[in-house]
Amino acid sequence: MDLTRIDKRIIYLLLLLAVAIPLLTKLELPVNVGPQTEKVFEAIEEIPAGSHIIVSFDIEASSLPEVQPVAEAMIRHTFGRDLRIVGLALFSEGTAIGYNMLSSIAQEFGKEYGEHYIYLGFRPQYVSAILGMGEDINSVFPLDYMNDDWTEYPAFAKVRNYSDISLVLSIADGSLPTYWVEYAGSRYHQKIVTGLTAVMATSYYPYTESGQLVGMVGGLKGAAEYEKLLGYVGGGQRGMLAQSSGHLLIILVVCIANIAAWRKRR
Amino acid sequence: MLRKRIPLLICFVFGAFGLAQYYSPHPIVVSGYSTVLDWVQIIFAFTLIVGVLSVFQIHLKKISRREKLWGYSIVTLSAIIVMASAGFLGGTGRGTAFVWMFDNMQVPMQSTVFALLAFFVATAAYRGFRLRNVEAGILLAAAIVIMLGRIPIGALISDYIPAGAEWILTVPSMSAKRAVLIGIGLGSITTALRVILGIERSYLGRG
Amino acid sequence: MKGEGTNIFQRWVIVSCLILVSFFIFPSPLYAEAQADCGAHDTPSDGGGSITIFWSDSADLIPAHVDTLTVYRRAVGDSDWDRLAETTTREKLFLDNNTIDGIAYEYRLEAKDSVSGTQFRVGSVTSSPQWFNANRTVVLVGVLACLAVLAGVMYIQRSGKSFYVRPIRGLEAVDEAVGRATEMGKSVLFTPGWGGDIQRPTTIAALNILRYVATKTAEYRCDLYFPTHDPVIMAAAEEVIHEAYIEQGQADIYNADNVFYTTSSQLGYAAAVDGLITRYKPAAVFLLGTFEGEALILAETGNSVGAMQVAGTDSTIQLSFFMVACDYTLIGEELFAASGYLTKDSKILASVKVQDYLKVIIVTLLVVGAIMATFGSSVLSDWLGQT
Repeated sequence: MDLTRIDKRIIYLLLLLAVAIPLLTKLELPVNVGPQTEKVFEAIEEIPAGSHIIVSFDIEASSLPEVQPVAEAMIRHTFGRDLRIVGLALFSEGTAIGYNMLSSIAQEFGKEYGEHYIYLGFRPQYVSAILGMGEDINSVFPLDYMNDDWTEYPAFAKVRNYSDISLVLSIADGSLPTYWVEYAGSRYHQKIVTGLTAVMATSYYPYTESGQLVGMVGGLKGAAEYEKLLGYVGGGQRGMLAQSSGHLLIILVVCIANIAAWRKRR
Repeated sequence: MLRKRIPLLICFVFGAFGLAQYYSPHPIVVSGYSTVLDWVQIIFAFTLIVGVLSVFQIHLKKISRREKLWGYSIVTLSAIIVMASAGFLGGTGRGTAFVWMFDNMQVPMQSTVFALLAFFVATAAYRGFRLRNVEAGILLAAAIVIMLGRIPIGALISDYIPAGAEWILTVPSMSAKRAVLIGIGLGSITTALRVILGIERSYLGRG
Repeated sequence: MKGEGTNIFQRWVIVSCLILVSFFIFPSPLYAEAQADCGAHDTPSDGGGSITIFWSDSADLIPAHVDTLTVYRRAVGDSDWDRLAETTTREKLFLDNNTIDGIAYEYRLEAKDSVSGTQFRVGSVTSSPQWFNANRTVVLVGVLACLAVLAGVMYIQRSGKSFYVRPIRGLEAVDEAVGRATEMGKSVLFTPGWGGDIQRPTTIAALNILRYVATKTAEYRCDLYFPTHDPVIMAAAEEVIHEAYIEQGQADIYNADNVFYTTSSQLGYAAAVDGLITRYKPAAVFLLGTFEGEALILAETGNSVGAMQVAGTDSTIQLSFFMVACDYTLIGEELFAASGYLTKDSKILASVKVQDYLKVIIVTLLVVGAIMATFGSSVLSDWLGQT
């Protein structure tokens, strides 16, 4: 068998097994918290209780299995710190996802709609929406997801624009955090953190190093780190074994291909 | 002549305004800019109708002409009609038919497509990471350190592995990325200036 | 014509230089007033409705042990003071963001605790909106520098000088890819990725390349498919492709149904384009525009059907995937150079050259900044960091 030309269907099958089998076990791996996750955690810790933060669900259904543990951990932290959440979605598919996630975690923490969080729903054209909120959030979202005037809730009545928002948390699976940085960060000096898929995380190192993004929680590994900081076991830590075996398999096939190619050359 | 000049004039006026408004906090300018942003959102909402109409037009044509694989067109149109009807009639709140279909059909289907990425990464890595020369060797070593550094097993082998992965991402990888980003930024600026000044016209469909 | 060009260029340079010099000559009002012990002034570089009150920690103003400062306000002519806020004496700055422009206000600041206290008054002062945000001077300088370089290069171009752009293999391959598809009797697929919209320069750059590709498919009478996730891009692409076919005298073979909207959903779009590639097996696939997570899915599918693939994006992470799965990859700025490179339009080529000159300026600033930072000076980085 020529190991430099393994049928790709065999690699697909091996990867499927490498990811699926660990998910059936309950084995947990120890997790070390990385600097990026720690920065996000610290940023939320520093915000005084009662302050308002924006949680933007910039995600689609496709990435939910990976992003959900990240988002849940960060939202649990914000509710636990008694921060008030202004939820919204800049992708249409994120609308229902965001509302369901926020309301179920709010229920878990005994938080009330209108008192501890509101959900503004979806606006298309994210660049315009991000810029518009810098001037007046109410003009971009005149009504909330339930079609009510959200400014009538006393806890949120004074939220006018980014100057009343302590932090923006973009739950993302694509380049939306870039737009938050470019338009809300550069223009309105808004502090921004993000929780996103692992594949996109490496794109944001230039922004975290320059301070334009305070920090980021990337993929299942980031979720596992955040869960460790909060002291509970969630989807992130449960997925670590599957992710580890997937990575190890890829390293293995790359090594096999190189050894086979080297032997062939000799 | 007018057909060519009017779009260029509109482009110049709005482009120049977009550039100038950044430097002015004056309420008159801010209000003008907010109005433009509102227009963008309204125009986009209408273009979505154009998009949906385009989908219906193309698939209805395929069905009526019995084109190759026309059965898929029926599935596409049915899915749009059923999902939209569920949303309009039953709402989109928790416990509705819309959310049930979203959670139990759309999420798994889209996640499946997203999961293809893992399989494609595996085969692309198998094909691409070949130790042909010193540079390829460095690339391969960096890839292995990062893959190990992003899983707990890396730290179990040695604390240097996650630290090394972080170093690769924040130093050599980031400096290369920044260089590419600077080039992209400059390319974006000159393209935007070409469009605003009317030097670039190909995108309008006429040179 | 040449004389006119000279005048425009000279005016540009003079105006740019005057604006640049003015920023250095006139210091900002905030800096000038901050020298005083206490005072109030209209908040600079804002849209009005705000007054800045400042104080120093001088013992004459605030007793050393007092930490709380209460701010009161009244409009000039009123007798009653309104309590505005309580702040700490350490802040040294308080922004009253609830003023009405045109009305003069005076402020009373009380620093006291149970033991002792002082109070002092500042004002009267009136808030007003400004037309220019001085905090964005650096960005303005950057934009003016770009315009000045562009004007200079255009002037040189008018004098008849031609500019050299190094061969870009990905763009050279466009003809080969379309020719190959024609020879094989297969189609060509062009898609601009899911990440962009029509405002994005990357999309404009992709449409410029689309025009050239459409010209070639019209010339060779080869089918061209253009699936997209954005209805506006669809409308623009229809126009671009249609015009290219008319220009080639092939309007009769232009098929508007081949340019279509799929869905705005990322993976829905990826599935639609993947399905198209799998069913029609195009011989050439162009993945040019803003790509995100769908990049590798599309590129690997194209690779699996044996298509010749030319890709290019402004997303740095996706470039690495394209490098592995595609035959040619346009890296970042090469995508933006495509329009001039393919059309050989001297004005566009001149503007591409501007990128090189600007890069020289940026590299110079980076080197100077790094040297200054090494020797402990942050003057340049602080100045560039103001936005």
